[in-house]
Amino acid sequence: MQNISTILKSVQKPGRYTGGEFGQIVKDKSKMKLRVAFCFPDTYEIGMSNLGVRILYGALNQLDDVWCERVYAPWPDMEEQMRKNNIPLFALESKDSVKDFDIMAISLQYELCYTTAVNMIDLAGLPIYARDRDENMPIILGGGPCAYNAEPVADFFDIFSIGEGEEALPELAKLYMQMKENGTYTKSAFLREASHLKGFYVPSLYNVEYNDDGTIKLFEPKYEDVPKKVEKRVVEDLNTSYFPLKPIMPYIETVHDRIMLETFRGCIRGCRFCQAGMVFRPVREKSAEVLNKQAKAIYENTGYTEISLTSLSISDYSCLHEATDMLLEWTNPKKVNLSLPSLRADSFTKELMRKVSSIRSSGLTFAPEAGTQRLRDAINKNLYEEDLMNAVRLAFKGGKSQVKLYFMNGLPTETYEDIEGISTLAKRVVDEFYKMPIRPKKPVSVTVSVSCFVPKPHTPFQWEPQNSLEELRSKQMFLAEKITDKKIRYNWHEAKVSRLEAVFSKGDRKLSKAIAEAVKRGMKFDAWDEYFSYDNWMDVFATCGIDPDFYATRRMSYDEILPWDVIDIGVNKSFLISESKKAYENATTPNCKEKCSGCGANKLGKELTWCPKRK
Amino acid sequence: MVSEKKIESEMLPVRVKFSKKGNLMYISHLDLAKTMQRIMVRADIDIWYSEGFNPQPKIVFAVPLPVGVESDCELLDIRINTPMDLNEIKNRISKNFPDEMKVLDVYVPELKFKYLAYIDYTIKLNSPKITEQTANDVENLFKNECNVTKITKSGNEKVVNLCEFINSLKAEYSNGKIIISTVLCADGERYLNPELLIEAIKKNLNILISDTTDEYYSILRNKMLNSDLTEFK
Repeated sequence: MQNISTILKSVQKPGRYTGGEFGQIVKDKSKMKLRVAFCFPDTYEIGMSNLGVRILYGALNQLDDVWCERVYAPWPDMEEQMRKNNIPLFALESKDSVKDFDIMAISLQYELCYTTAVNMIDLAGLPIYARDRDENMPIILGGGPCAYNAEPVADFFDIFSIGEGEEALPELAKLYMQMKENGTYTKSAFLREASHLKGFYVPSLYNVEYNDDGTIKLFEPKYEDVPKKVEKRVVEDLNTSYFPLKPIMPYIETVHDRIMLETFRGCIRGCRFCQAGMVFRPVREKSAEVLNKQAKAIYENTGYTEISLTSLSISDYSCLHEATDMLLEWTNPKKVNLSLPSLRADSFTKELMRKVSSIRSSGLTFAPEAGTQRLRDAINKNLYEEDLMNAVRLAFKGGKSQVKLYFMNGLPTETYEDIEGISTLAKRVVDEFYKMPIRPKKPVSVTVSVSCFVPKPHTPFQWEPQNSLEELRSKQMFLAEKITDKKIRYNWHEAKVSRLEAVFSKGDRKLSKAIAEAVKRGMKFDAWDEYFSYDNWMDVFATCGIDPDFYATRRMSYDEILPWDVIDIGVNKSFLISESKKAYENATTPNCKEKCSGCGANKLGKELTWCPKRK
Repeated sequence: MVSEKKIESEMLPVRVKFSKKGNLMYISHLDLAKTMQRIMVRADIDIWYSEGFNPQPKIVFAVPLPVGVESDCELLDIRINTPMDLNEIKNRISKNFPDEMKVLDVYVPELKFKYLAYIDYTIKLNSPKITEQTANDVENLFKNECNVTKITKSGNEKVVNLCEFINSLKAEYSNGKIIISTVLCADGERYLNPELLIEAIKKNLNILISDTTDEYYSILRNKMLNSDLTEFK
């Protein structure tokens, strides 16, 4: 145990590093067979808000011989103190050094955390490359959404968990303990054995060769017993799977400081740019009864006064009305608020507005994503202008005067007409407000937020190039000129950030040397404006002989071996290709409830009414 | 949980004495207040809620504990709507306290917080520069006049003589450490943050000024006191 108390006096927000929260799990370490340090490569406030990490923390700690603890990336002021005083990265519960744990698990939630993640390995006092770590050093396990293409960081990790981990990680833990107990454990024997478990990818067990143009020539297992493709794990039944009912209560304010209740996984929609919509298939729901029971238990165990029902698109939850009715029966008298993020404009009803407190606030947010019906069809958004107008009319009638609209620039097939459509659509929302006979006294305000399209692995748009920086900029400026109404506020994302995201999301193993170089230069927290530097990254790429455009702006062909082909998300490549072609015909695909389009994900999960198991 | 509205005076006042030590000294007063509200909800104690659009359980603290100071004698008051056995309250709150904080006592308060006069502190100084002479230096520093510049709530600078706020102060040398026992003003008008003593020590005695881990100090609140120096309850 390390004494960090004295250095905490000289850092900002020491509450990030104290641990000792109500609900944290402390075990007798002398009785443990396996200790896991669960690391989140961002601040405490962000990491503590991640529901997935909370689920895995609880699921691992359900095992009597396993103690899983939490680690968050220290902010640079704390890192400076730690390095100066020779205090390596430690876990919050025991304050023990991460380097003395058996497994160091790192959650990879977004590409721009890669430098922070690798820096945490270094701060733990461990060599960053997996090949340089010896038998006595912890196994470094990666997971989270970025594991669906973990190639850019593959050289730093020993193993990745692909897909949902609450059943897979306890299996891995049991294998570890078993091999330690019967004396068969060596790091390489364990990794080889783990590659046979469903949902685990051991990058060192694969050979990768490249063509002269940098594309992949060969990607195959080194041994016959290692699977050619790693199928992701899913939890079949959310009603019986583990869900944390006694979450840790942070002292300091976190991003989501409330009860987060998962309603269902997956999404029926199939927007062609959206990775979550593909990789989390098939849709699996929690019943209203189970949801209500969990909500009550968590309320009693936390004292939180807000419940947020989480999902990718809450209005697609088939038990939404039943569940909210059950919840409101007790949340109202107990003064507990209910909030429903991720509402779709086409399902926004009067009844929902009445029920939900988040909607009592002054504004509403919708995501049409594109400005014209043509482009919304091409990306398979399946949202009509009239749906949006109905939703905003309802909102205005209900006393709201602020509407936020999310769009994307640089989508495949986008033309300047589509971009102008964004300003036309926003203007129509303003006009709708003034057409209302009875409307709020507060003046209308429409915020248009435009991000840049980043092509993502495992989506129909995975082969697409990202627009060049110049194109994205000129599109942003073009829209700025088109928006003349003073009631419309226009925000756009920094294209340089999206460029770096595109490089890493479509990246391969050659990028690891750029990440190592960036970490060596002290670069980290790339997702934070105060630390992001595009120029530094371009310099790193130049030093390492890497052309970022090779990843971001090159159109890949359908028959190219993709770095993430080794991962099987359940959805067939043929489905992605057909969706990609349909985009160019502006043809939509029905959602899963309307009609099964045969994506292939039904081979995973249980029999569902709208996702028939292939017989 | 929330029963009929009662006026404040009809509700039973209850005082909770608790400790806050170790790394939890870095949890700020505001964060602690929010934590306590949630503890009361979890403990399912029918306490007085504030009025208004967003009702909150009403909890009043004796004197906010500065960040970085430990305590064995924190006091907070709640008012309860439904009479409940004090032991039962203590059990319920204890069960919902984080492991590193302890409920020490639950009782019906004798005096209101405005009658609190002093707080007894122990301050420990660690530094390789400390000698037996340092104990005398510390005592002499706070004997008659020790001025420090303080930034007031309105943002102005104000020079204060710390000695006017010190009821008693004794410094002892022990095993390379200095242990200061002191009683400082803590009434509504005249409250002294013990960190100001550290500031004066840093400035005048040239210790605790490096930011390495071999120089550090700790401050512990021992006891809340009445004006006659008996324990405040």
